[in-house]
Amino acid sequence: MAIAVGGFISLPAWANGWNATTVPATYRILSRQQDELLAIVVDTIIPTTTVNGNDSPGARALGVHQFLQKMVNDCYEPDAQQTLTKGLTATDVLAQQTYNRPFADCDTAQRIEVLNRMSQAEEPTQKGFYRLVKGLTIRGYMNSEYVMTNLTHYQMIPGHYYGCVPVPATAPSLTQPK
Amino acid sequence: MVYLNIDAQAQNTYDAIVIGSGISGGWAAKELTAKGLRTLVLERGRDVRHVTDYPTTNMQPWEFEHRGQLTREVKAANPIISRCYAFYEGSEQFFVKDAEHPYVQEKPFDWIRGYQVGGKSLMWARQTQRWSDFDFDGPARDGFVVDWPIRYADLAPWYSYVEKFAGISGNKDGLAQLPDGEFLPPHEWNCVEKHFSQQMTKKYQNARPVIMGRAAHITEPRPIHFQQGRAQCQHRTICERGCPFGGYFSSNSSTIPWAAKTGKMTLRPHSVVHSIIYDEKRNKAVGVRVVDSESKQMMEFYARIIFVNAAALNTNLVLLNSTSNRFPNGLGNDSGLMGKYVAFHNYRAGVSGQYDGLLDSTTDGRRPNSPYIPRFRNLHRQETDFLRGYAAGFSAGRISRNSQDGIGADLKTNLLTQNLGGWYVGSHMMGETIPKETNFVALDSAQKDPYGIPQLKISVGYDDNDEKMVKDYLEQMTEMFTAAGFTNIRTRDDKRNPGLDIHEMGGVRMGKDPKTSLLNKWNQLHAVKNVFVTDGASMTSTSTQNPSLTYMAMTARSVDYAVKEMKKANL
Repeated sequence: MAIAVGGFISLPAWANGWNATTVPATYRILSRQQDELLAIVVDTIIPTTTVNGNDSPGARALGVHQFLQKMVNDCYEPDAQQTLTKGLTATDVLAQQTYNRPFADCDTAQRIEVLNRMSQAEEPTQKGFYRLVKGLTIRGYMNSEYVMTNLTHYQMIPGHYYGCVPVPATAPSLTQPK
Repeated sequence: MVYLNIDAQAQNTYDAIVIGSGISGGWAAKELTAKGLRTLVLERGRDVRHVTDYPTTNMQPWEFEHRGQLTREVKAANPIISRCYAFYEGSEQFFVKDAEHPYVQEKPFDWIRGYQVGGKSLMWARQTQRWSDFDFDGPARDGFVVDWPIRYADLAPWYSYVEKFAGISGNKDGLAQLPDGEFLPPHEWNCVEKHFSQQMTKKYQNARPVIMGRAAHITEPRPIHFQQGRAQCQHRTICERGCPFGGYFSSNSSTIPWAAKTGKMTLRPHSVVHSIIYDEKRNKAVGVRVVDSESKQMMEFYARIIFVNAAALNTNLVLLNSTSNRFPNGLGNDSGLMGKYVAFHNYRAGVSGQYDGLLDSTTDGRRPNSPYIPRFRNLHRQETDFLRGYAAGFSAGRISRNSQDGIGADLKTNLLTQNLGGWYVGSHMMGETIPKETNFVALDSAQKDPYGIPQLKISVGYDDNDEKMVKDYLEQMTEMFTAAGFTNIRTRDDKRNPGLDIHEMGGVRMGKDPKTSLLNKWNQLHAVKNVFVTDGASMTSTSTQNPSLTYMAMTARSVDYAVKEMKKANL
């Protein structure tokens, strides 16, 4: 069977099925503006970075904001949708209050500060939003084709089980594509 | 049958009919066709062809829309099947949804079913431990239910026979309570499992052996496996999606295509068996009434012998619904015990912990199996205040962990910096339950299924013996984990419903006396000699071992007998 490799910057094949133009309208639980804001939020949580001169895609490039909406819509209780939409509004409100500009116009440090404040907020929507979005962002990212193929090296067909092998002397850095 | 003309009747007549195509029905089909009988295999579900009908088998984790998670809608509509460990986005297609075949729960019972060609053999856990005379002697020694009409020696050659064909991996451990079989090489131990096994030998002087589980995986294919088109297990451990290598045994990969190759088998999916037709003049069963689930038409098929392999509780349902003037309470039910003495395996309890030693070793790859602790309680003599005992699964492993702290580039670095965690250890119990008249299934007098067949009423629960056994397992396993130097030991009793073990048995039990049993030592209805029941319904008691291998061996043995009897014109 074919094991897809690659998809460094461009959307991997699986995510193509979910981009804004092809995801059926019924799966859209956010407006276009909210969708854009969520994409910025997930990309703040896991950004594109440069490792040894190569771009390592972040959550947005891997379509994690689309995955997140699908999960909230299909698998979570209806109040999670409320948390998501109210939390997005709260994100912009907090950015305005703190930096006098929408979240999208904040720089990276400001965006991180806004999200950090939400994580520590007493107010349940903000705290709940942060927990929901961070958790699903991590899940979408770690279970993406890009990460599982290039970084964590998932083996669909190990072909063996060796019970007692020595632990590798140093844990290899997984951020380096092999 | 009186309504049919002779031609139609001839067209619908076979030498043998097998009801069900799961793990035992598949064996009945294989053995009957090998002996030259034109055999009709009736399956209530759809056809599932090996490889081509495994839609998720080669899907990567990221190809699942919800990464394997069940949707809210599926869970809300299916509270029962959603509790099954093997039911997820990759395997949903092989399990019966709650609304599909309703049943009445007098007591909570999670009835886990697979209605398709292959039945549950597609998604089973593949553990294949032989039963022993400690199991077959049990009722007589400990004074419950009735004596088994067979002993280990009756089944031993048939275990060997089915093991060679199915492909069973294991180690020859020389244990009387868990007899050795025809094994392919065993799976490997990891260092902590080996340590545990050694410590148990030291502490209990061989009274509590820990062995590698025997499992229906081809660890080293033999010519007979290649002839089936099956290859070596590739350690994918996503077996419940169906295996394109045929690495584990299922009806789909093995017995059904083998039977088809003879040209003697007619496989008829979408055939919901309503009842078995009894001819009062000839004192035998003559055929089967079937509702075609697509056309909703009632049809009849005829044969000289009938094997009932519908899976334990559905076999009860079919027989109970097969009424006539001679048998107003179910086919062959002169004793009135049909549907009674249903039992299961108690999987409620587990123990987990960690081990802080052997940190310089780890594992590589995946293993579709784990070590096994054969029953040690009350084995040679009664030593506790409860009857019988439990086997247990055991395994150890290490998993990579990452920190999910922070946000932004820091979080990303944390996520991708995986550190090998320490060893975790875990065990779960598999307790023998005592069949009782009060644990029963019966036809519900009011509710019908979508085909107009009475719904099955299930009234099966735990008893005081089970509670005591849970307590003892937790105490003993805690003692064993402690002796092995494990720490952070945690016990659990999830109080799951009976049924979730998927080892329900009985209701049409074997026995020596027609007054107290339904089947004789050949799995033949005492009162209707051409009807054989060789699935879980036939079990007199439950042992602690996973039962599927025993159903396979019993089926092959029973077919051999039935065909010999046919040749002698006794059937």
